[in-house]
Amino acid sequence: MATPVAAPGITTPEITRGLEYLKRPRFPGPAERGIEGLLDGLVNWCRAYSFWPLFFGLSCCFIEEITAWTPRFDISRFGCEVLRGSPRQADLLIISGTVFKKIAPVVLRLYEQMTEPKWVISMGSCANCGGMYDCYSVVQGIDQILPVDIYIPGCPPRPEAVMQSIVLLQEKVRAERPLRKILHRPGGSQGTQTPILVDGLSKSRDPRGPGYYGTPPRGSEETPPLFWDARSDLMWTPPPNFFELSDTDQSLAKTMREKFGDSIAQAENTSDMLTFQVAPARLKEVLRFLKTESEPKFLRLDDLTAVDETARREREKYPDFTVNYQLLSFDSASRVRLKAPLDGPRPALDSITDIWPSANWYEREVYDMFGIRFEGHPRLWRILMPHDWEGHPLRKSYPDRATDMPPYTHFEAQRHQPQDAGEYLEGRLAEDQYVLNIGPHHISTHGLIRFILALRGEEITAIDTDIGYHHRAAEKIGERQSWHQFIPYTDRVDYLTGVANNLTYCLAVEKLAGIPVPDRAQFIRVMLTEFFRLSNHLVWFSTYTHDTGAMTPNFYCFAEREKIMDIVELITGGRLHPSWFRLGGVAMDLPVGWKELVDDFVKVFPRRIKEFEALITRNPIFEARTRDVGYLSKQDAMEWGVTGPNLRASGLEWDLRKKMPYSSYEAFDFDIPYATAGDSYARYLVRVEEMRQSVRIIEQAANRMPPGRWLSEDYRYIIPPKEETLTDIETLIHHFINVTRGAKIPRGEAYAATEHPRGEQGVYTVSDGLHMAYRLRFRSPGFAHVQAMPLMAVGHLISDLIAIIGSIDFILPDIDR
Amino acid sequence: MQPISPATLSPWVPGLLSFALYSVIVLAVLGLLLVLTRWLGEQKPDLEKARPYECGVIPTGGARFRYPVPFYLVAVFFLIFDVETALIFSWAVALEDLGWRGWLQISFFIIVLLISLIYLWKKGGLDWRPQLQRQASPPRR
Repeated sequence: MATPVAAPGITTPEITRGLEYLKRPRFPGPAERGIEGLLDGLVNWCRAYSFWPLFFGLSCCFIEEITAWTPRFDISRFGCEVLRGSPRQADLLIISGTVFKKIAPVVLRLYEQMTEPKWVISMGSCANCGGMYDCYSVVQGIDQILPVDIYIPGCPPRPEAVMQSIVLLQEKVRAERPLRKILHRPGGSQGTQTPILVDGLSKSRDPRGPGYYGTPPRGSEETPPLFWDARSDLMWTPPPNFFELSDTDQSLAKTMREKFGDSIAQAENTSDMLTFQVAPARLKEVLRFLKTESEPKFLRLDDLTAVDETARREREKYPDFTVNYQLLSFDSASRVRLKAPLDGPRPALDSITDIWPSANWYEREVYDMFGIRFEGHPRLWRILMPHDWEGHPLRKSYPDRATDMPPYTHFEAQRHQPQDAGEYLEGRLAEDQYVLNIGPHHISTHGLIRFILALRGEEITAIDTDIGYHHRAAEKIGERQSWHQFIPYTDRVDYLTGVANNLTYCLAVEKLAGIPVPDRAQFIRVMLTEFFRLSNHLVWFSTYTHDTGAMTPNFYCFAEREKIMDIVELITGGRLHPSWFRLGGVAMDLPVGWKELVDDFVKVFPRRIKEFEALITRNPIFEARTRDVGYLSKQDAMEWGVTGPNLRASGLEWDLRKKMPYSSYEAFDFDIPYATAGDSYARYLVRVEEMRQSVRIIEQAANRMPPGRWLSEDYRYIIPPKEETLTDIETLIHHFINVTRGAKIPRGEAYAATEHPRGEQGVYTVSDGLHMAYRLRFRSPGFAHVQAMPLMAVGHLISDLIAIIGSIDFILPDIDR
Repeated sequence: MQPISPATLSPWVPGLLSFALYSVIVLAVLGLLLVLTRWLGEQKPDLEKARPYECGVIPTGGARFRYPVPFYLVAVFFLIFDVETALIFSWAVALEDLGWRGWLQISFFIIVLLISLIYLWKKGGLDWRPQLQRQASPPRR
């Protein structure tokens, strides 16, 4: 081999830098440093192959992180096997996911409580720099709070990336010189050496990168809240979709008109459900009538939320705020919406917690987010934002970007602290009781949630919940991303169910604009949604049984889940967050070879369910832990807005896929599994049976997959296929507009709900005739479930609480959004 | 008083020596471990590190409060039965020497133990269920 000779005259900066790098003074190897080098090497060898990572997860990334511990990836090969529950026993912190301002003080405390020396891996875009969440509640990079050794890029990074980060960290550890530190001699190095970064000095929070200071972001004239130069104003669209009222709706409207006269006004031309404008003074009366007397009775408070109307294009037509009450009737399978207008600087309404106790949290959320007060509420205080937060984020006047706010630093993380547990249990603590926090960092809480327990011995006498540690401002972001751009954010609203979230969002916008969806797209959507239901239930199965004492299902379930991920990856190209549905259809047609994979899966999976059941269903330990634990009555479940498998386990045969079919579910043959016991064991049985039904649906969808287009032809609203843009100018124009600025959706509002793996997920979207939503609201199943937890948990032991948490199957981004 | 012949005594002097040696070694190893961990480990004591760990938040209230009675009950039962197990072990060691008479005596002892166990079981002393459920239904099984 010829010796490379540096050609004279080459002085380009890269080459110069490269040569300098080659000529850098070499770190003395063990041999050159004699006995000290040998001992350093020995200590490093021990450390590099026995990391003790803290069992700590923040968000989506943690799912991929923990997948690296499961059979297909098996990180134990790297000597990084046992996750520690307490920071006292851990020396590696993997910041997996979004760092929220509410959780940042906790992260810092955990880090400081870890043993020395310690290392930090920042996993995923959010932890690295805030990622796609440049929003008021998220810290733009953990490195402003903690020193970081290794960054893993990706959203979320794959499990392989976690393994690579461990290998990189091993390399870093092997280059350390710990002996001098150990023997208290000067010099030497161990643990993280990098400093905390400072915004503007060693780090730039600007999402465009450094160097743009003082330059407004591109397109800011078309961004919220003012849209002063929005060109969507000049575009024309057809009117929004028209919803035909059923006979029941019409007779109800008639009764309401007769009973309440001028106090209510029926909204004309709604896109989704019967809607009334109600005078705030008579609102409670109307709601009580609808719950107890009307025909049909509306037993469930489906959702309660508000809209800040102060940035409307036609400002004079709207009040300052509108508060929406949405009710659901189980008898007629229909919904009704009441809208209460509010004006003035200190808007207030009467609380309806005496009609629906479940209104408690919803009213707190509206207060937190909009600053609307509810007179007569038992305790109106913040729910999602930290207790010392200033301002009401969903008001149009509130900044949405974290980069528009001062940086969240190490100092801030020390200054702000989660509220003291005693505050939550005020007045509910007797003398012989003590207070225990479970969470926000706890293995069994399945995410960042904090249960505050009052205990007598091991018995729970009172319980309160602190949520909002995972508040990712999805609703506020919906007001700034164009209708299509928002789809990736929906995946992350419930990070275990991927495209199932896309479906709810797409259905809502399609309902509003009246976008038809071809049959093939509907079937593809159903098939993938059911795959994600299985994937979610597998994670639920493994974590639930793990919490109640069984380790084995963990490995079985995650191995199966990887097979689902393979199919998802083949079809969509993504794993956790495919973002694969589009308005009017899906992103592309099914790829070659999808059918074989799906067929194989359908053949094998029912046998696997049998195996899982053989492990658990008749397991005496599992039964002892779950039977008669966490009982929820059918009536309570219906009134508290409990949905999905939890509602069915309490004895109501209610499944939106059957009762209010959407996306062609009426074309499928499947059963609604339900149980009557209402305890944690019943919730287990229902979910396991649901898996079987999902396989049936997948099988039917695959076998009867209709031919034809996979995307709507309504190019006004959707993103046309790129190939077609090359053949005609109309398509090219639509493609250009809808991809760059975004489609204009007609002025109106629509609500769509789906039978999400976790319960009923709804999206309420309001358009002001612009290229992004005016207001976007997620009706979250978990929010209602967790609110109902005191009903199930009080009077049980702590260990029962863990079983109840597992049986409810909530997930934090869905609760906090 | 009869003089004791040296032959009846066990040769206890070398035994004492080995016991003393054993004790010294144990103490030395313990001491070494304590000193080494104290000295070798990097220590950065600060407020957060010294704080008790409670899921990442600052704990509320002290750790010294009135414990509920069931915890004491379990501790006391454990203590009693543990001491009694020690008695049974000593009988088992001398099983052949004590013969059938010893067997009868220990059987009587064990039966008394069993009866007391059944008694406190029936009384609900081992019932670990929460108060609310206990009031609702008598002990199971």
